Amino acid sequence: MNQANNDIRLLLVVGIAAMFLLFATILLIFIFTQRKKLQYQQSLHSLKESQQLQLVEASVRSEETERHRIAEELHNEVGALLSSAKLHLLTIKLPDDDSYNQQLYQKGNELIDESIQKIRGISHSLHSHILQSFGLNEAIKHFMEKLTNGSLITATTALDYNYTTTEPPQSDTSIYRIIQELLNNILKHAHANEIHITSKYENESLTFTIIHNGIGLSQELFEEIRYTSDGMGLKNIQNRINLLKANLNFSKSNELYFIQISLPKPMPDGTPGS
Amino acid sequence: MQQWVQLILDWSEVWALLIPIIIYKKQPVLYQPVVSYLWCALFINLTIDFVWKFRMVIPSVYNSNNYLYNVHSIIRFSLFTLFFIQLNQPFLVWIKKIVPILFLIFFVINFGWYEQFFNYSVFSSRLLAVEAFFLLFYVLQYYLFKINENVEVNIFTPDFWITTGLGIYMVINFFIFLLYNELSTRLQTFAISLWNVHNISYIIFNLFIAKSLHESSKQ
Repeated sequence: MNQANNDIRLLLVVGIAAMFLLFATILLIFIFTQRKKLQYQQSLHSLKESQQLQLVEASVRSEETERHRIAEELHNEVGALLSSAKLHLLTIKLPDDDSYNQQLYQKGNELIDESIQKIRGISHSLHSHILQSFGLNEAIKHFMEKLTNGSLITATTALDYNYTTTEPPQSDTSIYRIIQELLNNILKHAHANEIHITSKYENESLTFTIIHNGIGLSQELFEEIRYTSDGMGLKNIQNRINLLKANLNFSKSNELYFIQISLPKPMPDGTPGS
Repeated sequence: MQQWVQLILDWSEVWALLIPIIIYKKQPVLYQPVVSYLWCALFINLTIDFVWKFRMVIPSVYNSNNYLYNVHSIIRFSLFTLFFIQLNQPFLVWIKKIVPILFLIFFVINFGWYEQFFNYSVFSSRLLAVEAFFLLFYVLQYYLFKINENVEVNIFTPDFWITTGLGIYMVINFFIFLLYNELSTRLQTFAISLWNVHNISYIIFNLFIAKSLHESSKQ
């Protein structure tokens, strides 16, 4: 009888222990394989993300190169042709009493001057040589001055001069292009007549805030039209924002619209931080 | 001190259920069977413990709580079967559908010919062991399915906690349930003290459910 009781006890203890060990093994194998799968998927995901960023970077670079090429062609080829045309025009001698032709000559001269100016403007805007020579703050300031030149728009800047261009300067070019595109949009779509840009450089992270009094975008609307709009502007902005690992935020307060671009502290190798 | 510990363990089938009941907030449909189980189990276990503690004052016809363990077993099996079917895992689908039918067939045969459902002296070891076996099958097929599935973000999902808690509880108790009738006739003191192991595993099971429902309400 005692032997039978002991056998039951033994069976019970061994049974529970064996079942528990088996279950614990299955559970550990399960957790281990799931962890491995998760790690593999995460590495796959980050690889995809970095490939995507490389593609965006390549497209942004080629866009910038193309801008420079067009700017140089315009400046060197078209600008030179127009200057030559003006020189030829100046050599034409008209009789003083031929007032009709005198007027046409004058008008032609003015149009060539205007064309040369426009070509110079477009070429400078595409080439961003101020950005490369004097840095981001000066380039933004110059662009804002150009916007207000001869118009009713009031544009002011309060930029933090503690920020100096970092090497490589591609980030600055992207920031400049984002601000350029945003300002063009504000003028074109929001119909603002007061624009103010501020920047703050703190703990190696840079924040720009554009404030305007037009009819601006909310964050939701931006997210919506970014995917639905056929225009390249917002897509370009978003690509550059992704490339810089920055944040773009739209908000409204007291009838004023705010656009904030927050750039993280760059990594030690100069690449944008996360 | 030992008496206090024993008292806490004796009532653990009731207070352990209160942990997930207090913690859980509104749950998705998927976890409704588990929530229903908690309330049913609370009611049944409360009755079981009251009957046991006041068995001296209750008329002898009503002072057995053994059939309540059988009721608890059937409710637990039904609700957790519903939970695993609702998980909608396209794996061993037809076997999962057959399991409740097999359990029903077993129930009819066992209590029709071999055992009494309202047995005064013992609960049905066979019923509880078969229930544990089938629920362990559900637990294992859950892990097998998950191993083949792609992990999205997190391994430790609410359904993982419920399944693992149930798995631990059933693994520990399978042999206890299977041999309990035998033990209660041969080694009664050992059987009573062995029920403490069951109670501890029940606390662990409820802690896992609490963790699951907490995670689920956060999502």
